[in-house]
Order: sequence, then C-alpha cells, then structure tokens
Amino acid sequence: MSAVTAPGGRRALGGARGLRVLGITALSEFLSPNRMTAVAVRLAVQLFLVVCLWRALYTDTTISVGLTKEQAVGYAVLAMLALRLREANRWGARDTVLQHIELGTIVYWFLRPQSARRYYFLRAVGDQLYGFAWALAGYVICLAVGVLPLPASAGAALAFAVSFLLGQATLYYLTLLTDQLCFWTIRNNAAVDILKFAMNLLSGAYAPLWFFPGWFRVMSAALPFQSTMNVPLSFYIGRLRPADLPAQLALQAAWVLALALLTRLLWRRVTDRVVSQGG
Amino acid sequence: MRAFWSAWTVAMRIVGVTFRAQLEYRAEFWMRVAFGVAWQLSIIVFAAVLLARFPGMGGWPRGAVLLIAAMRMLSHGLFELFFGRIVELSILVQEGKLDGYLLRPMPVYRQVLLARFPSNAVGDLLVGGSMFAGAVMIVDLRWTALHVIYMIVAVVGGILMEAAIFTVLSCLHMHFPAASIWSYWTVELLGTFGNYPLKILPGVVSGAFTFALPLAFIAYFPAAVLTGNTAGLGYPAALAAAAPLVGLAAFVGARLLWNQSLRHYAGVNG
Repeated sequence: MSAVTAPGGRRALGGARGLRVLGITALSEFLSPNRMTAVAVRLAVQLFLVVCLWRALYTDTTISVGLTKEQAVGYAVLAMLALRLREANRWGARDTVLQHIELGTIVYWFLRPQSARRYYFLRAVGDQLYGFAWALAGYVICLAVGVLPLPASAGAALAFAVSFLLGQATLYYLTLLTDQLCFWTIRNNAAVDILKFAMNLLSGAYAPLWFFPGWFRVMSAALPFQSTMNVPLSFYIGRLRPADLPAQLALQAAWVLALALLTRLLWRRVTDRVVSQGG
Repeated sequence: MRAFWSAWTVAMRIVGVTFRAQLEYRAEFWMRVAFGVAWQLSIIVFAAVLLARFPGMGGWPRGAVLLIAAMRMLSHGLFELFFGRIVELSILVQEGKLDGYLLRPMPVYRQVLLARFPSNAVGDLLVGGSMFAGAVMIVDLRWTALHVIYMIVAVVGGILMEAAIFTVLSCLHMHFPAASIWSYWTVELLGTFGNYPLKILPGVVSGAFTFALPLAFIAYFPAAVLTGNTAGLGYPAALAAAAPLVGLAAFVGARLLWNQSLRHYAGVNG
C-alpha cells in the first residue's frame, strides 16, 4: 500500500468541460426510465398522503402552535418537495465515496486533472439541481391544484429564497463531512443514515419544529440542521417574519463558514489518507 | 428433527461470524446501533408531538394510540432482526452475490437473511421493547391471559406481515435492482402511517393501507381488538381479529412468490 499524492490534482479543467460533470446525475437518471417513473409516482403519492394526514389532524381544531391548517399543510407539502433535493440516487450510479473506497477506485479521483474536491462539488451541485427540477415541477403542480399557498408576502418570498440557498449550502457541507469520514472509517453507511435521520428530524422534515416541545426547539437552534428546512419554510408560510431574516441569515452564514473551513481542512488530510490497493 | 437442529446450528454459526465481521468496523457497528435507536426514537417523538398537539386521533384514547405505535415498533425491531436483509436484496443482486448463493447447499432465502448481522436491530429492539413495556403499562386495559396470548400472536403476525410485504418487493429487486427505491419508500410509509389509527385518513387511503399495502394488519387492527376500538374501523371486527392469521397467510404466499421469482432469476450479467 502506498500513499498517493494527487499529482496535478489541483489543476482545474476549463469551465465548460468541468461543468459537464454537473449533468451526470440528470443524464444517468434519464437513462433509467424505471427509476424516474418510480420517483414521479412516489412523489405524487407522498404529497397526496401528506395533505391527507395534515388535513385530518386539523379536523377538530383550526389553529395549533400558531399554525393554521393552510400553513401546516403548505409547510408539509414544501418539506416533501424539498426532500427531493436530498435524494438523488448516487448509489445506483455507483459513484458514492463509500463505493469508490470499497472498490479502491477512489484513487482515480486524485489522479485526474480535475481535483477531487472540485469533482465532488460539481457532482453534488448536479444532484441538488436535478432534485430542484423535480421539486419545482411539484411546486407548480401543487400551486395549480390549490394545496399550496403562495408565499405570505413578497418579503417572505425573498427571505425564503435567501435562507433556502444558505440552507442548501449547509446541506452540501454536512453531506461532504460524512463522506470525508469514510476516508478514516472505510465505511460510512451508518453515519450517512444517522445524518439523514438527524437532518429529517431536526430540520423539521417530518413535522414543523414549531410543534415540538421547547427543549427540542432550543436543541435544534444550536445545530445546523434547522437552517436547511425549518427556517426557509417558516419564512414561506409566514410563521417567521421577514424582520427575523438578519438574525437567521447570520446564524446560517456562520454554520456555512464553519463547515466550509472544516471540510476544506479535511480535504487536505484526506489526500494523505488515499492509498492505492496493492501498493 | 436432526436436520432441523443441524440447520439451526449452521445458521447460528453464520450469525456469529457476521457479528464478528461487523465488529471489525467498530465505529460503524456502534453508529448502526445508534441509528436503530435514533430511528425508533424519532417515531416516538413524532407520535408524542402529534398526540400532544392533536388529541382527537379518531376518538382513540392516547394510551391506545401509543399501543399501536409500540406494537408496530416492537414487531419492526424483530422484523429487522430476523428478516431485515431482504430489504437490501438489490445490493446483493448488483454485487453478484446472489449468483454465488445459488451454488451453496443452503436455501437462498435463508442465505439472504444471514448475509449481514443486523446491528441496527439491536437499537431498534432496545427502544421498541422499552416503548412496548411503557405502552402496556399506560393503556387502560385489564390484562387477561387471553389478552397476553393474543398480543404475542399479534406481534408475531406483525413481523410476518412486514416480512411478507418486503419479500414481495424483493422479488422485483431480483429482476430490477433499481426497484429498491420502492422498498425504502415502503419503510418510510410504515414508519409514518403504521403508528396511528388509520380511520383519521380518508377512506380511499385507509383502504389502500388495508388491502394494497396491508400495514393495518401489523398493529392497527390487533391494537383495535385489544383495546375494544373495533366499532369505527369500517371493517368487520372478525377481519381485524384475524390479523395474525392474515400475516401468516401473506408470508406463506410471499415466500411461494419468491421461490417462483428465483427460478426466473438471470443474474446481472444475463
């Protein structure tokens, strides 16, 4: 076994050629019509079920923890759509860090003219953009059929857009962190599962965090997860006011910065950890 | 009888080997246990939140709703322990391992179930068992021997029904590995809708969860029978009471389908 030193790995390819990596996710999905059909059916049924569940819960009440039925249903629908941004099937394309480490092919990431860090970034952005296309299509349909209200105000829409973008950046760095863990632990299945679970629960994907007890909301506020979903969606439905934006943005930006620095540091260490099988 | 014990001995030795193999990745092992705990805790937290904020769960008392969640979580933990690997069949197909199983002197289905030690089931059962004990104490019910026997049979029936659902789905994995997306989605559906009285949902949805994806038979129907909430089910009480038998019948049917499906397995390389 010998360490690989990533010769020339820092040299980024020209923009257009490098950007083609962005399209890999969409291309691999288009080549698997079964999977695309499954995603469409799943999303439609899931949205229908979520609307049914939240409407049923509000049968005996009109408002709960400051959320009306329309707000709660709107939040739940948006959360379901936002989850699409996290669910690109990279495993099916056999291009996860874990798969490459187990097969030993991770070494090629460090031998190409495009750096591993840039390749990972472009693939992740491609995943998120592909998920965003699904979410956008779902959003338009949900608006058209009336299960989703428009943003509470123009200010709310702007606050939603800005905090949503920062939330996606946080999501990217958290995912990267678990993948980098792989270079030390060899396997990261459980870490990825725990991260997914923590993100879903603590970001308010299962239910708006407003429904949870005070101690739970305090704990969530101290962690980066809620900025990926609960914060932007709360702006959208009007549960958070645009006046709350500066404080929330500062917190989100602080998490993005901290995670960016940590993952950048880890990329440097990661290079020393890569070994070619057989030496 | 000797062949039966011999098969069990071999199976337990494989479990021991796969357990030691999991311990080779110590951090991964403990994280997987933690994941089992976390998954079950999330269901408790979600159920507690909904019960606290929306007390009118189809007219069911809180203790009875908790009993649904507890029975489903316990049967899910035991399902993970004994049958959980069937959900991951597509990985074995993609890696070509199923082809190897065809050559070994052990039933393929059993080899799939023994492919990996289910560390997460340890966490699932820790929380599921605790939740079950708590719910049994909280629920307003005078426990008789008949209740206890029915409860045990119902949990076994719940395990078999969950195993039947994922065994049927795994038949798809054999021929279309990308079909794993349906299994993972079904796991989510069971975790989201399997813990509450289905009568709060529109008839078409509760009907689908009774006959298309029969999660009502895992915990909802047995809990309704135990707590005497069969009046508003929308189905005959006898059908609800027969949930364990339905689970057994579904599992037998699913296994027959699986065997049939295996005969047509072609392998990833054609």
